[in-house]
Amino acid sequence: MNISRAIVFSIALVSSVKALALSEDETKKLVGVIDEKQRNTGDYASIVVIEQWEKSKVPNAKEPYELKKAFEARTYRRDADDQLIILFSKPKAEAGKGYFRKEKTLLLYEPALGKWERQTERASIAGTGSRRDDFDESRLVEEYTAKWVTDEKLGKYNVHRIKLNAKPGADVAAPILDLWIDDASQNILKREEAALSGKLMRRTLYPAWEKMFSKSKGADVYVPKEMYVYDLLEDEKLTKIRLQNVNLDPLEKNMFTKAWIESQSR
Amino acid sequence: MPMLLEIAFRNLLQARRRTLLLGLAIAIVATLFLVLRAVSSSVSERMIESSTTLSSGHVNVGGFFKARKRDAAPMLADGEAIKAAVKEIIPNYQSMIDRHRGWGRVISPAASINAGMHGIVFDQEERFFNSVRLAPEMEYVKGGSEEAFGSFEDLRNKDTVMIFASQAKKLEVKVGDTLTIVTEAAGQSNTVDLKIAAIASDVGFMSNYNIFVPRQTILDLYRLNDKSTGVVMIYLNDPDDSLAVMDKLNEGLKKKGFLIRDHEPQPFFLKFEKVMGEDWLGQKLDLTIWTDEISFVLWITSALDLVSLFVISVLGVIIIGGIMNSMWMSVRERIKEIGTMRAIGASKSYIGFIFVIEAMLLGFFSAAVGIFIGCALVLSMNALKLPITNDGVRLFLMSSVLNVNLHAKDIFSTLILFSGLTGVAALYPALKAARLRPVEALMHGK
Repeated sequence: MNISRAIVFSIALVSSVKALALSEDETKKLVGVIDEKQRNTGDYASIVVIEQWEKSKVPNAKEPYELKKAFEARTYRRDADDQLIILFSKPKAEAGKGYFRKEKTLLLYEPALGKWERQTERASIAGTGSRRDDFDESRLVEEYTAKWVTDEKLGKYNVHRIKLNAKPGADVAAPILDLWIDDASQNILKREEAALSGKLMRRTLYPAWEKMFSKSKGADVYVPKEMYVYDLLEDEKLTKIRLQNVNLDPLEKNMFTKAWIESQSR
Repeated sequence: MPMLLEIAFRNLLQARRRTLLLGLAIAIVATLFLVLRAVSSSVSERMIESSTTLSSGHVNVGGFFKARKRDAAPMLADGEAIKAAVKEIIPNYQSMIDRHRGWGRVISPAASINAGMHGIVFDQEERFFNSVRLAPEMEYVKGGSEEAFGSFEDLRNKDTVMIFASQAKKLEVKVGDTLTIVTEAAGQSNTVDLKIAAIASDVGFMSNYNIFVPRQTILDLYRLNDKSTGVVMIYLNDPDDSLAVMDKLNEGLKKKGFLIRDHEPQPFFLKFEKVMGEDWLGQKLDLTIWTDEISFVLWITSALDLVSLFVISVLGVIIIGGIMNSMWMSVRERIKEIGTMRAIGASKSYIGFIFVIEAMLLGFFSAAVGIFIGCALVLSMNALKLPITNDGVRLFLMSSVLNVNLHAKDIFSTLILFSGLTGVAALYPALKAARLRPVEALMHGK
């Protein structure tokens, strides 16, 4: 390759990369699309299986992680009112334990104590690597300001890498997010969360998304089928979350109350 | 007596070379003894200071709350009720504060450490903030300035933290940076980002394991209600009363209906396992004194005392041997003199006293020289402010800078001990001299 051809090629390469760059508005629009694709204006119910894995202590083990704990829970959402319930059914020791989000307050019900406790956004769910926002409606536009970082390849996918910083006063679990968004499907493939200091705390992979038609929305809703949450502070922990039997039909009117959760725990 | 002293003094001057050699040996041992005593008491004092400044009152009313059988939360469900009861039982304390307790991983982008968290109410902590000082930047940043940044006052603000210079050095952070704290309780983890409001100079090695945050931070992290607290810390006018006050509180609180665990002389964090295995639910108080809270490091002073005792004993035996030998030589050289004195009416005890006082004078003056050298050594060491870089030595001396405190009691005890020791060493030769018969003594050598 002679010099003039190399210069032309470089200019073409730079131009093509520049052409992929997203403006501020385009970035905001893209994040809005993510929220919109996951948002269901009506109700939502699913069964969630949460598995807690830990790095194997056996040297050169075939499986790098070992299953330590597994939970099953039912989740209910009423996105119009920002309400969420996570109600544990398995194992027996955890059955009846319930999380309830109402008016931006997350509460935990402990059936053994018969008490409700306030939880912070960063509190883990049932001691696993999962958190409230893994199960809740996506509110990225409302809570973060987005900035395009780069376009790159993630495996075989062309992705936009977007950095999100929490808006002042927003009560969020992670003040800094990095999202890798599939250019084709506009679904999140990878998410990294950092503390204010910049220290990476969690990495979540979304290997598969399920498309469902929502009657209340009159459009498709995208639900992650699986999430792999890597704890980057304690390198040895992995949480696998599987969403099953997702149902977008209307739920009982009066179920988003403390009393309903307590009644389910008995 | 003045005559005795004069004779003893003249005898010392007469055997100048022997006096100088023996005196030098005694002076060296006295210097060593004084320095070891000073180091030992400095370590002890720093333990009290470090412990009572950072993590303990002279007497502590802590406790555990068990919501489930396998739980053991180090908290008091109703802090105000306990403070009111303490006020009633022991009205004559110096001051009383309460703090929340927690434990977590402190994470910066560069490193992480584990530390005990103290949830404080700024206005209660006058004693604490009078004891700590903002660290100059050079204490935690290589090539940093002498200026101290940050402000303790900023700990009034939400989501702030005060750490110590040694921690800042490990975490590679400065004032204004953010740290992430990860806690775990009852199987649930939680995290919070805290802005560094102040970095304080180290207060002994325990500064490595303690950080201070506003009370609300602990309430949020552990989801506790506002009535709760971690421990009620009571400061007394005389710390030596700690045990008696703890016993009084124990009885008083029991009478008021509080359930109290049997006294275990251990810090609260070493009791978790045991409490988790205990078969009760609800609240039980746990009373400790400051030595209990640092019992895990008290071996340091015991070890130091033991080493000092061993070294001093060995050197003491050598000194006693030297004095005995020297005095015995002195007796043999002065047998005729002894005979003459006995012949002109000196009693046996008078002769004995001459030798004992001679040795005691030697011990006194040599110890004085040794003390002078020891004081000069310690003072110049302190003036140099030599940093201790080795973690083991820092742990042993409980300080990050070489600093030894000298006390008048140590100086006087050295003086008295060495004078007494040399006197005792001279007893046997003095007894031999006193038992010499005048006729035999006068005829000696003929």
